[in-house]
Amino acid sequence: MSESTLFRSEEMSLVQLYIPSEIAQPTVTELGELGLVQFRDLNPDVNAFQRSFVSEIRRLDEMERFFEKQLEKSEINTRALTTATYYARARSAQEIDDLEERLREHEVRILQMNTSHEKLQRKYLQLTELRHVLRETAVFFEQAESRQDSIRNLFDNQETDTAPLLERDVEQANFDGTGLNLGYVTGVISKDRLPTFQRVLWRSLRGNLYMNSAEIDEPITDPVTDEVLEKNVFIIFAHGREIISKIKKISESLGGTIYSIDESPDKRRDELLEVTSRIEDLHNVLSNTNQTRRAELLKIAENLTAWFTIVKKEKAIYHAMNLFNYDATRKCLIAEGWCATRDIPVVQNALRTATESSGSNVSSILTELRTRKKPPTFHRTNKFTEGFQSIIDAYGIARYREVNPGLFTLITFPFLFAVMFGDTGHGALMLIFALYLVLNEKKLARQEQDEIFSMFFYGRYIILLMSIFSLYTGALYNDVFSQSLTLFKTGFAWPSNFTTGQTVEAISLNQTYAFGLDPTWHGADNALLFTNSYKMKQAIIIGVVHMTFAICLNIFNHIYYGNKMFVWLEFLPQILFMESIFGYLICLILYKWSVNWWELDASGNHIRNSPPSLLNTLIYMFLQPGYVDPKDQLFPGQGPLQMFLILIAVVCVPWMLLGKPYYLKARHSKHQYETVAGDEDVTFDHEEEQDGHTSANEHHAIDDEEEEEFEFSEEMIHQSIHTIEFCLNCISNTASYLRLWALSLAHAQLSTVLWEMTLKIWFYYTGALAVVGLVFGFSLWFVLTCAILLGMEGLSAFLHALRLHWVEFAGKHYLGDGYKFEPFSFAQALSTQ
Amino acid sequence: MASAAVWNADNGFVDGILRGYKSGILNSSHYLNLTQCETVEGMKYISSAGGADLNENVRLQLSATDYGNFLQNEPSPISTSTISEKLTQRLVAEFDFLRTQAVQPLAKFLDYITYSYMIDNVVLLITGTLHERDTHELLDRCHPLGVFDTMPALCVATTVSELYNTVLIETPLAPYFANCLSAQDLDELNIEIIRNTLYKAYLEDFYDFCQKIGGPTAEIMGDILQFEADRRTINITINSFGTELPKEDRKKLYPNIGRLFPEGNAALATADDIDQVKSACEVFSEYLIFFDQAVGESTMEDKFFAHEVFLNRLAWQQQFHFGTFYAYVKLKEQEIRNIVWISECISQNQKDRISSYISIF
Repeated sequence: MSESTLFRSEEMSLVQLYIPSEIAQPTVTELGELGLVQFRDLNPDVNAFQRSFVSEIRRLDEMERFFEKQLEKSEINTRALTTATYYARARSAQEIDDLEERLREHEVRILQMNTSHEKLQRKYLQLTELRHVLRETAVFFEQAESRQDSIRNLFDNQETDTAPLLERDVEQANFDGTGLNLGYVTGVISKDRLPTFQRVLWRSLRGNLYMNSAEIDEPITDPVTDEVLEKNVFIIFAHGREIISKIKKISESLGGTIYSIDESPDKRRDELLEVTSRIEDLHNVLSNTNQTRRAELLKIAENLTAWFTIVKKEKAIYHAMNLFNYDATRKCLIAEGWCATRDIPVVQNALRTATESSGSNVSSILTELRTRKKPPTFHRTNKFTEGFQSIIDAYGIARYREVNPGLFTLITFPFLFAVMFGDTGHGALMLIFALYLVLNEKKLARQEQDEIFSMFFYGRYIILLMSIFSLYTGALYNDVFSQSLTLFKTGFAWPSNFTTGQTVEAISLNQTYAFGLDPTWHGADNALLFTNSYKMKQAIIIGVVHMTFAICLNIFNHIYYGNKMFVWLEFLPQILFMESIFGYLICLILYKWSVNWWELDASGNHIRNSPPSLLNTLIYMFLQPGYVDPKDQLFPGQGPLQMFLILIAVVCVPWMLLGKPYYLKARHSKHQYETVAGDEDVTFDHEEEQDGHTSANEHHAIDDEEEEEFEFSEEMIHQSIHTIEFCLNCISNTASYLRLWALSLAHAQLSTVLWEMTLKIWFYYTGALAVVGLVFGFSLWFVLTCAILLGMEGLSAFLHALRLHWVEFAGKHYLGDGYKFEPFSFAQALSTQ
Repeated sequence: MASAAVWNADNGFVDGILRGYKSGILNSSHYLNLTQCETVEGMKYISSAGGADLNENVRLQLSATDYGNFLQNEPSPISTSTISEKLTQRLVAEFDFLRTQAVQPLAKFLDYITYSYMIDNVVLLITGTLHERDTHELLDRCHPLGVFDTMPALCVATTVSELYNTVLIETPLAPYFANCLSAQDLDELNIEIIRNTLYKAYLEDFYDFCQKIGGPTAEIMGDILQFEADRRTINITINSFGTELPKEDRKKLYPNIGRLFPEGNAALATADDIDQVKSACEVFSEYLIFFDQAVGESTMEDKFFAHEVFLNRLAWQQQFHFGTFYAYVKLKEQEIRNIVWISECISQNQKDRISSYISIF
């Protein structure tokens, strides 16, 4: 068995498990802890609620439902998930029953407390309202009292003037007997209902009432909904029993509460006192009830996370078991799933452990199935490679056993990033950050992380490598926060005698700076000219090498998938096309670098012509094939060589276009004669499964990869698109690698500007101003360095590196049409919910 | 066309929302799943648990649809009335959102939709008060779309004029009520007459309003409201058989719109039995099947509903009109009826009748 590497995904096997139903639950528990098997759904046609273990899941759902809300309401935090609870084992059926019983007990108790609390609160509400009614109406009564005389006078006057004798007599008797005999209704109604109430009263009584109302300034909480209500106290004076009862009816139907109070002020005062004292008592009882409820909830909160962990694990188990099938006798559960071939012994071991620990003598059976289904892609990653692999997975999951670009990404990604982010200073700051994340990873992993920080944390090893590589490229570019270091002996010397304002030229000392860019270039007038030319060419070289490598990876895929001919029909023309144009270009770049164009012969004349522009050389290679202007010649024989290369490139196009489709057509027509034999093979496969189990068999046939219909025209169209795309991409992708230059230039320039604008200006001052200025300038410079150069520029370089990997690199070879291996594991189930 | 060009400026947003809501209406496969809540595999687990548990499955099914987790926080066992209440609450929430976002004349149009519920509520309350039912219980049974501020005060009224003067005068129903003031006592028959008079006035008013808006709204709402009017006419006629309602009064209750108006209405006014009703309606072949008792088990009522659903469904075939809003409310109402029917059937073990719901899409 081959060692597992990142180069290709893990070999997978389709395994079938026969699990005796009495030990199904502990077995699945064991597998869930392992997290190595991805179960297939054997009942895809069955509705979610018709599955075998729905009732169990529903029971567990019920268990989860109640407490969270209660705790939230009383603002109690549950204990965070600790490692101990995280690994709490899934329990046996007996323990689950116990747990359910316990939860139910708690729930009943809490519910009881809630009801009594509500009852008390309602009582409290009533009393509070009554108190307000008493207090507010006292004012109204006083007013009414004082006004009564004037009202009576009014009545008297009217009556003497106009009213008929008889009626007056009757009413008069009334007036004289009991004073102004007005009945009244007092009560409380919610504030927004008040206008409606008034309107209805006015209309139904035709204005025969005197109404007064006052707001209750104290907020009143509704015991059921916990909402704060705004209420008004009202008092209505009206005349006649009928009318009073009508008022009562209306106010009740509109949701008001009526509190009848006594007429005499003394009794009212007594009542008020009594109500107040009862409110006091009730308040005490209420807070006591609250206390006990809170204590109970706190006790629950202690254990809740542990309980929920168990419940969630149980739920995950039953969800997994819903994917299983019963055998004909219903004594066994049949599970099918994908598992890495290397892990089968581990799984078998787990099955044995589960059987032993549950004390059953019938053990589960694991068999490997032969199948033509497409297995999932499983890359075994560790904490270091995980981040890099996810960069590739984000583009597409590799086809099963395809060459995995994730392996190469490990180095190329940080390197390309660093080419754009070359600055030793910035790299060092980033390294400190990365080291902090990496060295404290255990501690940080335990902590609660917000989204952005967890993103950085997940990519900590990427950041680490990126920072180390940018230290290296920064040294190459000789940039430390846009300044340069002189570590070795420089190759140039400045002339010592010059007048201010004069342009001076450095004198070459005929030696080369040992590593990277000569610091003399720093601050020189033509520094930008030089670095631009250098970085641009470097970008092209890196790009072409990177893409050539990507094309070469195709060989591994072609050979592995048994298409050796494709190496000749597809890979070869591709690589020839690429190299005859762009491979030639980088040869030219390297050649041009290696030649001393200013070399003089003995008589002091230039041996060579002035260095020709490579861009023009490349353009005229196509515009005037075979001819090179002697002025622009790089080396003798350049014309014929270019002619030859163009010929190769031109030949490659039809080669690419036609070779593969015609080969496939030939292979297909040959294959057709052989299908009879092939068919027998297929039926054999199915029969083998048939004696395993019957019901799952039906959809096997559907699931199985059908032999693809071959259509020549379709293949031709596909290939022509592919060819055109490849040829155009060679050009555009090479140009795309120039972003390495552009981003690196932008980064260098930005850090120079920042240096000069914020920090350098203060160096010209002296004294106190310089001190203050330097402190201020440095803090500004440092903050902006971190925010703009490390944060934003880093992000932008990251994104561009990402694009180079996804489009330019992966586009050349990566199929990326697989699907991911997602094993059933508790760790997964617990972290997602 | 001119209205179509600027229609979206005012109504585009609400219409977009509405069409989003519409795609949440359950389709036939949802219903199939719902009715399957008692078949084959499920049977095994469900039959032991009894009816309440069956509704559990309705809940499980609904949670897979647009209704999402609206029943999540209800403790099981869950009753049919809870389901219906929650479904209605959702419809009302959606309607309220549309209403608050709407501008005139759509706002007015949406108000018109609520008037019919207001009429129902008013009649419900007066009937309840007549039978001395508890006010709060009555209020709970009112349709939330037809609730208005002063509604509870209806319970106080004992005569028609009091009803009008204290409560209804400030509601939009007031003009419709003007025709009922002649009736003095509140008894069963009078209440029925009040209901039908109100409805007649409402339908005519709504119809006029839609015609005033014009365009596709007039066309589509015209069809729907005319059918509504015809349905009422036929219902009134059939229900009046064997009551003491005089024929002249009966004729007064017929809405003056609809396809049956005026000839059909005149014929119906003199009808004495169902055959005469049938012959009066025979002119329209679509109406013929309502009287066809032989086909299937479904009642006339159900056939009316089915035809209403058909008309409302047609409303979605056109753009730039208000008919969709009306249709949405009605379709959603039908959906609630369907779900309630299904869950009732499940909880009462009437599985053979479960499929007589009216599938919408």
